[in-house]
Amino acid sequence: MRIVGLSLLLLVAALLPARAADPWGIAGEKEQVVIGQVVDVLCHLKKDCPANCGGGRRQLGIVDAEGRLRMVAKGQVDFANAVPDLLAYCGKRIEADGLLIENPVITLFFLQRIRHEGSADFQPAERFIQEWTARNGASSEWFRDDPETKAIIGEVGPLGIKGLVPPPQ
Amino acid sequence: MQHLLATLSLGLLIGLAPVSTGQAQSGPAPAAPPPQMVKVSGEIVDTWCNVSGLMFGLGTAHYQCAVWCTLGGIPVAIRDKDGNLFLILKIENDDLAVNSPRLARFQAHEVTVEGELLERDGVKYLLVTQVADDKGVINMTHAEHGIQPFGQ
Repeated sequence: MRIVGLSLLLLVAALLPARAADPWGIAGEKEQVVIGQVVDVLCHLKKDCPANCGGGRRQLGIVDAEGRLRMVAKGQVDFANAVPDLLAYCGKRIEADGLLIENPVITLFFLQRIRHEGSADFQPAERFIQEWTARNGASSEWFRDDPETKAIIGEVGPLGIKGLVPPPQ
Repeated sequence: MQHLLATLSLGLLIGLAPVSTGQAQSGPAPAAPPPQMVKVSGEIVDTWCNVSGLMFGLGTAHYQCAVWCTLGGIPVAIRDKDGNLFLILKIENDDLAVNSPRLARFQAHEVTVEGELLERDGVKYLLVTQVADDKGVINMTHAEHGIQPFGQ
């Protein structure tokens, strides 16, 4: 009886859509599980639809049950979005656990965990760093070691103006 | 809404009128609304830092961080003088809007662009058709804010 009860509890827990995201203390943030379909935002708005949601070239979002388009702007990796995590679910229905940030000038979604709708386990939205590491090797600060960031910062400096010297710390 | 219209009124361009290309078979099909063409001036920013407020997300102080974020795939926007954010999905027929070196090189620049505005569920999306002006980085914020977010 006890085992049956425990099994039922685990089953219910697995099927529950809600899992609290980690709050970040951002103005207008609300912990939320968005359930809906992953879309290529440009395709959704303009019917300009390449295969596979643009294959990583385009910004992605989630259309929820009410038809609202939630623009995903951030994933769990520092300084990175969650496009690789969402791209794996292009056109599919997912549960996205994160923070909906309703700022007066823009509404964005910070994706923290993702799973197929109704599946058991949420996965952290950190595919960006897995793919980056596969291309470039391990780094504790991908953003400083990325070839393209190094090229741009190396060219114009950290302030964006060639020759402009940072202030002493 | 009124605020947005007021903001855009100076730069509002003439929308493209729908063009009839054939004879109607059983009455006219509902015409798609004409695209809302706008001119927007402001600073290129990364949306996450600008909205989260976790660091000072403007100008020279934030340039390096904005490059990192852009190449990390965080959406890029233009912030106008009233604080409106216009999220860029496409720029001059280039739909590369994720990890885009071109957008990264635009960061913190003061620009004027023309394009199509699409508003949906709290976001103003912009499909840039032309970069009309690019003044480069002119918002000198580093003296007050250092280099965000780590100081180097």
